[in-house]
Amino acid sequence: MGVSQMPVAEGKSVQQTVEILTRKLEMLGAEKQGTFSVDCETYHTAASTLGSQGQAGKLMYVMHNSEYPLSCFALFENGPCLIADTNFDVLMVKLKGFFQSAKASKIETRGTRYQYCDFLVKVGTVTMGPSARGISVEVEYCPCVVASDCWSLLLEFLQSFLGSHTPGAPAVFGNRHDAVYGPADTMVQYMELFNKIRKQQQVPVAGIR
Amino acid sequence: MQKGVCGGGRAGLALPGLENPELAEGGRDSESRGCTGVSCAYPIGRSVFISVVFHLITVVMEAPPVTMMPVTGGAINMMEYLLQGSVLDHSLESLIHRLRGLCDNMEPETFLDHEMVFLLKGQQASPFVLRARRSMDRAGSPWHLRYLGQPEMGDKNRHALVRNCVDIATSENLTDFLMEMGFRMDHEFVAKGHLFRKGIMKIVVYKIFRILVPGNTDSTEALSLSYLVELSVVAPAGQDMVSDDMRNFAEQLKPLVHLEKIDPKRLM
Repeated sequence: MGVSQMPVAEGKSVQQTVEILTRKLEMLGAEKQGTFSVDCETYHTAASTLGSQGQAGKLMYVMHNSEYPLSCFALFENGPCLIADTNFDVLMVKLKGFFQSAKASKIETRGTRYQYCDFLVKVGTVTMGPSARGISVEVEYCPCVVASDCWSLLLEFLQSFLGSHTPGAPAVFGNRHDAVYGPADTMVQYMELFNKIRKQQQVPVAGIR
Repeated sequence: MQKGVCGGGRAGLALPGLENPELAEGGRDSESRGCTGVSCAYPIGRSVFISVVFHLITVVMEAPPVTMMPVTGGAINMMEYLLQGSVLDHSLESLIHRLRGLCDNMEPETFLDHEMVFLLKGQQASPFVLRARRSMDRAGSPWHLRYLGQPEMGDKNRHALVRNCVDIATSENLTDFLMEMGFRMDHEFVAKGHLFRKGIMKIVVYKIFRILVPGNTDSTEALSLSYLVELSVVAPAGQDMVSDDMRNFAEQLKPLVHLEKIDPKRLM
């Protein structure tokens, strides 16, 4: 339900901050339940198709989430999010002439999955190529599907182990507080997080946000 | 641990409203602590998924369940083998009767589908064609996106038309998404008919209806006084004996309908 970035603590590496977080979770009583991974590839419309559309090339993100292993999510920023099955990747190969993949910008997060009663917490290291760029924390409150009903509960839970780094309400909730939350909303949040990380500097030396 | 805990991960497939899933993943049950099973409607995936399930069952018995890593479709190319023919309206009943006798025993299945064909024009001479199909009588079914490649010209002795095919099930915002990608709708039609199955062969007998007002599927008119009959198989590339089986089946339908390999290019 909520994805946020955990800034790297001053003076420590990404690896160490992840360890601090996971130790806090384990002390809380969370149970380790395997691993998770979310990855994102970027495609942009090839120059040859731009002329007919008369508009600037758009970026399309194709993402996978291990929570939904048989699905593939394709989205445009501020646009629709398509949920398809894994054959969509095969289709993207066929569309090579029209959509080019920016190979260098494949970004992914991998880490451990914890279960704490009704909460599912995933702490992962965001990597782009060989370098670790940041930490992602995803918390899901499983019984509830309406965001506005449980945001305060989520916030309280986040505060218990993130402390001062607790984020504000994600933009996805913005105008649709009472709408049913779905996997597409999670992927939109991950996409925004990945974009933010991609833009920031290689080594975030500046203090905690 | 409550049963409701794995709510987020229970429906492994993210497609909303998939009530009667042909494509489903067994949930992660906190009591059994392991993946209960995976099934897939596509023959391509069956061999892949079965091996994954066995691996998980043998390894995961003592250890906590390992979340399945995303299974990508794989590079297996699926080919569609196709034979087509047609019957006039007044011969439909006898054809249906014979098909019911020859095909697998199942409830007679009818369908009403709305198909839209989208084109993406680029600098290449031929535009990229994608077919988006939705069911009008089965609420909650996923939309079906299909890519069909050029027919393979290789073997003149091959009895069926062979072309590369990619089938994708998608959520309902498919048309919006395709428009965002740059596709534009070329034409649309409604198909209404009957579906039969014999092993991996699919036999469809349907009538095409032209849509009079774009976007309005209620006002349609029949395109012709006949029904189109298609015998098709989707199989991995290289399995040419499939076309022999298809030809043998087509023999049994003569003289009611003559199914043959029709090259779409010759019709243009």
